[in-house]
Amino acid sequence: MARTRCVLLLLLFGCGMGAAQAAVPADAGSIVTRKLSNGLEIVVWPDHDIPNVAMYTWYRVGSRNERPGITGIAHFFEHMMFNGTKTRPPGEFDREMEAAGGTNNAYTTEDVTVYQNWFPAGQLELIFDLESDRMRHLDFDPKAVESERGVVYSERRSSIDNDSFGTLVEQVQATAYLAHPYQSPVIGWPSDIESWTIEDLRAFYRQYYAPNNAVMFVVGDVEPAAVLALAERYLAKLEPQPAPAPVTTKEPPQLGERRLIVRRDGQTPIIAMAWHAAAAPDRESRVLEVLLAILGSGDSSRLHQRLVEHEQAAVQVGTQLQAGFDPGLAWVYAVVPPGGDAARAEQLIDEEIARIAKDGPTPPELTKARNQALAGFWRGLETISGKAGALGRYQVFHGDYRKLFDEPAVYETITAEDVRRAAAEVLRADNRTVGVLMPTLPAAGPAASDGAAR
Amino acid sequence: MSRLCRIGATALVLAFAARIAVAAGAGADVQLPPFERLTLANGTEIALMPKRDTPLVAMTVQVRGGALEDAPGREGTESLLADLMQKGAGGRDAAQFAEAIEGAGGELAVSAGTERLVLAADFMSRDVPLMIGLVSDALLRPRLDPAEFAKVRGLAQQSIAAEKDGDPRALLGTFGDAWLFRDHPYGRPVGGSEESLATVTLDDLRRLYELQVHGDRLIVVMVGDFDPADARRRLEAAFGGLPRGVTPPAAATAAPRVEGRRVLLIDKPGATQTYFWLGNVGAARTDPERTAQLVVNTVLGGRYTSMLNTELRVKSGLTYGAGSGFDRLRQPGAFAISSYTATPSTVQAIDLAISTLERLHADGIDDKTLASAKSYLLGQFPPTLETNGALAGRLADMLFYGLGPEDVNGFAARVSAVEHGAVQRAIERAFPRASDLAIVLIGDAAAIRGQVAKYGPVTEMRITDPRFAPRREP
Repeated sequence: MARTRCVLLLLLFGCGMGAAQAAVPADAGSIVTRKLSNGLEIVVWPDHDIPNVAMYTWYRVGSRNERPGITGIAHFFEHMMFNGTKTRPPGEFDREMEAAGGTNNAYTTEDVTVYQNWFPAGQLELIFDLESDRMRHLDFDPKAVESERGVVYSERRSSIDNDSFGTLVEQVQATAYLAHPYQSPVIGWPSDIESWTIEDLRAFYRQYYAPNNAVMFVVGDVEPAAVLALAERYLAKLEPQPAPAPVTTKEPPQLGERRLIVRRDGQTPIIAMAWHAAAAPDRESRVLEVLLAILGSGDSSRLHQRLVEHEQAAVQVGTQLQAGFDPGLAWVYAVVPPGGDAARAEQLIDEEIARIAKDGPTPPELTKARNQALAGFWRGLETISGKAGALGRYQVFHGDYRKLFDEPAVYETITAEDVRRAAAEVLRADNRTVGVLMPTLPAAGPAASDGAAR
Repeated sequence: MSRLCRIGATALVLAFAARIAVAAGAGADVQLPPFERLTLANGTEIALMPKRDTPLVAMTVQVRGGALEDAPGREGTESLLADLMQKGAGGRDAAQFAEAIEGAGGELAVSAGTERLVLAADFMSRDVPLMIGLVSDALLRPRLDPAEFAKVRGLAQQSIAAEKDGDPRALLGTFGDAWLFRDHPYGRPVGGSEESLATVTLDDLRRLYELQVHGDRLIVVMVGDFDPADARRRLEAAFGGLPRGVTPPAAATAAPRVEGRRVLLIDKPGATQTYFWLGNVGAARTDPERTAQLVVNTVLGGRYTSMLNTELRVKSGLTYGAGSGFDRLRQPGAFAISSYTATPSTVQAIDLAISTLERLHADGIDDKTLASAKSYLLGQFPPTLETNGALAGRLADMLFYGLGPEDVNGFAARVSAVEHGAVQRAIERAFPRASDLAIVLIGDAAAIRGQVAKYGPVTEMRITDPRFAPRREP
């Protein structure tokens, strides 16, 4: 169960704690921003450490903007952004970029879709050309649409259907939300993956892929004036569109615990709990990051020590905060040993939550959370990619990239009582959904006749 | 919890192809920043590279030996030793040791590789003395406590069982190596199997420790924001007293290539997708033709527009990702193609992978594709040397294999110099013929066993079997 990704995200989202005066990199003063007349925002951070550039384009659209029938379309659309324009056939985008020494990727979450290009600094103009072409002239080749459906289905099978953890998380998230679109999986429900049409894609492009719904971050071996000149030349001609319809649904307060069971072939039970939490810009999200780090980040955390080391009731425990434009979920999970008892793991988690809700964290735990976050902040800024990602999170979710550097001050204000109160108010049974994955094959069990912890 | 990437891990994990600066005609060459090298009287090699752009320092200590030192049948000994080094050392018990690392916002991991044990740390600059203290405690003063040993061994067994319920991509390479190198030490799982871990004792770990942890087996590297004179003094004090050993590190000889084909079918009932791995013995880390091999692999399966990803993903939609890569060790490790597809399209996808490999041999690489691959490698190399940790790993790698700085500094020139003759030699010498493959499939055996027999004699096992290779007839 490699869940490194969750840990990394926690560190990234938890960044910025610690001494305020230490949290501004020396080159942050050279950051330049510009808003084009069509509403497209551009943020440039020159960093000449390596002769490369990271260009990230964020669109404020994710699975949150979907409705039944087209779940997964934001993610599918992300794939289609690589599949041809009016002048470049499918595949040409990648061929040109790689031939120029560049590479790319993209990702979709509940809230945003982000396109990432990494390339040698000398290729800046070509990359602007490629990016602006698909922003303006995307084309939908029916053959490419059908082929990509197969790709996305394979992605779904890999990340959800053939993975116990992915299966459980999807079901818990769908159960935790009654009303809000965060209930649908980013990858989409299988019948929707099979059903969306080219017309759905065209409508989606018009509505969400407008310059006024995007922010571009350019970090690396560049001069801001040159970047802004290219932006004017290639991006200013994009037509602004009416602002997309806002997502107005609010999840009603949860009135009691929800529980679900997932039965699946396997050996290892898993328990995952999710509580309704806060949105990314809320101070409460910072408090919850500290709480979840103290509970579940690292071998010295309370849940690891209790469940894995002392009671041997879990192979692995973890926590994760999901915080976007709207209130997300705070997660706690435990992977139980083969043949082990998920109820026992749940009981121990409950006891640890009750303890921190009653007594709060210790002073060394608060210091540890701050130090972990401060170190994570700097690790996140070691690379041009990390910088582009950090700028994006703050500009898009917090409204201003500068808040990236203000965060230490926010974390310094978080008290033991804040953390205790958050545990008591948020991590309540009535506010949570509990999912248990029950393996349906008899546990083969380790071959050890002794020493295997149960 | 959901963040879906366009390109998943598998294709790019295999494509750990090195990368460097400069697309043709643009940008500048990338050179290693200056660093200092010294060798202590006990044989410990040290490299120090000050780099001050963030207030962080990375440190790695590598110990020659690795899982090759495991006794046959006791696979996982070195890996458990690595785990146990973090469970109490010096004046700290396991909980205090974890607290000391995490309380400072630091990271410290000990892991076993096939040919070396690796301690990797990353701390804030203000904590350099603490970091050196913790790393040297873990290596030189581990408590090797019996109760902690029982826990790490149990956890190692349970984690393998848990992984078998997870994404099969995570274990495909372990099964692949075991099937390809079934008569060779490179086939033994570094982390052990559920079965072998059950036989490992704390005494095995103690014996391995005594054998392995000696001054002349150590490589110590620091990169980041630190004072080199101060660090040198601290490292000499920490490691200079460790005596030399008497036994040279375990070493493997080169494995012969597989001739013909053989198939291992691993049953995962209910799987809706078949995960496949097609391998043969590839090339060593120091192979003089490695740059040309890297260029060829970039074309075949080392990037998004590679032949394999183009055929299996872009043109046919059979999979989310297909790729190929070399596992480079002192001797040739595996070269493997891997991908996955829905159960009903298993044969279609494997046939396509095989015919793509045949096409590489039949047609070679055209001028335009060769130029593109070289440009790609040049352009993507600098980001691989961007962090303190990456530079520390690269320096340790150079010392471990006895390569000079030109391994990095000459990369751009070597890539630029690759021409058709070198490409053709690389294809012939390092890339298997489609007729000679060890094939591993993880999937729903009931649905595919009849169809996959055409690839060669099929051996079956279950994914829940407590080992990574089928039992051999005595």
